[in-house]
Amino acid sequence: MRRPRGSGGLWLGALILAMLVLPQIVSNDFAIDIFIRVLLFAFIGVAWNLIGGYARQLSLGHAAYFGLGAYTSTILQIRFGVSPWIGMPAGGIVAMLASLPIGSLCFRLRGPYFAIATIATAQVLMLLFLKFRDFAWGAEGTTIPDLGNAPLMMQFEAKSAYYYIALALLAIGLAITAWIERSWIGYYLVAVGEDEDAAEAVGVNALRIKRNIYLVSAFLTALAGTFYVQYIYFIDPNTAFSFNISVEAALVSIVGGIGTLWGPVLGTVLLEATSALLQSWLGGSHGGVQLTVYGLILIAVILWRPAGLLGVLTDVYRRLLRAGATPAKAAPIDG
Amino acid sequence: MAEALVVRNLSKRFGGLRAVQDVSFSVREGETLALIGPNGAGKTTSFNLITGYFRPDAGSVLAFGRELVGLRPHEVCAHGLARTFQVARPFGRMTVLANVMTGAFLRHRKPDRAEMRAREVLDFVGLAARADVPARDLTTIDQRRLEMARALATDPRLLLLDEVMAGLNPAEIDQAVALVEKLSRRGLTVVVVEHVMRAVMALARHIVVLDHGQKIADGDPAEVMANEGVIRAYLGTGYAQAAASGGGAC
Repeated sequence: MRRPRGSGGLWLGALILAMLVLPQIVSNDFAIDIFIRVLLFAFIGVAWNLIGGYARQLSLGHAAYFGLGAYTSTILQIRFGVSPWIGMPAGGIVAMLASLPIGSLCFRLRGPYFAIATIATAQVLMLLFLKFRDFAWGAEGTTIPDLGNAPLMMQFEAKSAYYYIALALLAIGLAITAWIERSWIGYYLVAVGEDEDAAEAVGVNALRIKRNIYLVSAFLTALAGTFYVQYIYFIDPNTAFSFNISVEAALVSIVGGIGTLWGPVLGTVLLEATSALLQSWLGGSHGGVQLTVYGLILIAVILWRPAGLLGVLTDVYRRLLRAGATPAKAAPIDG
Repeated sequence: MAEALVVRNLSKRFGGLRAVQDVSFSVREGETLALIGPNGAGKTTSFNLITGYFRPDAGSVLAFGRELVGLRPHEVCAHGLARTFQVARPFGRMTVLANVMTGAFLRHRKPDRAEMRAREVLDFVGLAARADVPARDLTTIDQRRLEMARALATDPRLLLLDEVMAGLNPAEIDQAVALVEKLSRRGLTVVVVEHVMRAVMALARHIVVLDHGQKIADGDPAEVMANEGVIRAYLGTGYAQAAASGGGAC
């Protein structure tokens, strides 16, 4: 759970710098759009990873919080003229409040039953918002009024502005995760994910820690929802509570490395890059191909590398280190 | 000496099975008590009742003057009762050190304090050299050591050990006995559930015998071994009874 510091800080600094200058070098809108999607889904993955990865509560209903965040800020903006900058944390709080009853219901269930229950919660919310015609525009949804360049209302002419917001969200998510990972909370989460009864035996209040981390996860996921509707200028229940969001949140973590700090980021880069490339090669005509490829990647990871892409990279890195240390010999028995 | 644990009229049934019936016993502070009995006698069930994993149908459990019935397991642990499990349950994804730190975090929230405490405990149980090994890679005896270390890291006043000797070879049993004796000398109150009589005789000055969920003897080793009911329970009045006592969860 702890890793030696040192060269790590240098790499992190270089990465941050590179991410900051990236939109200045790449001016192609299509490329920036892909970067924004990567950052956003990596952020959602990071949020999911707190409860799904560290605590191993495999939620497949995070669209519930994504959608609540999206709707809260949109309703506040269109009905009450409140800036999405305020709507964003407000959506986070709404999501937290919703996560309390959802969590208290779902955390009684373990394993696949928990996952199924969380799917149901997102679906129920979608159905509710389909019915809310007067209040939330029902099935047809609504467009966000285009105010041109209005930074105070989270609207920008330049795509790079959205890029920086998404980057900031991801940085916040990663910072929170890194802090949790190193504190007692991280240990308690992994312990609960491994064996709840054994964790209770050493004084871990399993229900409370699951509920609390679920609150954080829901809050962060809702921020992503607000950002997303501001970015695409449109909201309807099928977009906001899309099952794809729930699946993608879990998938990027599992593919990248479940319960690790950088796993969701790596997983998103791989999956989004694949999907963007497929789309540009095949155009819009072959709708199912992307999902097929996702499925194949997932099968490959689960079969051969349950630790995810990060596990592969760590293995390769260790092998390189070992090869450097003992160049003449074959791999030593005791690594 | 004051009483560390007072169990009074504890009862639990699972459907038609009376797993524990009206069991009472007490443990004085600093003493080592052995809870013995044939398979299915209700020993582990008693542990689960005391530590909050099951809720008793009747009876009370007083530890250091506080009623434990109704508390959740983590609250029981926070009150100073730490337990191990019959089948070792390490957090496999963590290293040995991280496992023990998880226990230490109960009293020390700062990671470096918890690590210090964890390393002390690992030293004490003889696992210091394995600190950075993933817990799932440990041998059986080392997994038992880890169970004890994790429990000890919570700084308990009373330690409940559920068959820590099971599956160990004679040399390992001697090591484990020495470890428990060392804890006892430090003033820790210990309750062991144990099948290995060698270990029971070496450790306990006070033995409680359960059979079919009921207490059939309570006293020092000599008294208990001379008890007719105990001899009957262990050696049987015939094969029929021996077969009948085999069922049920232990």
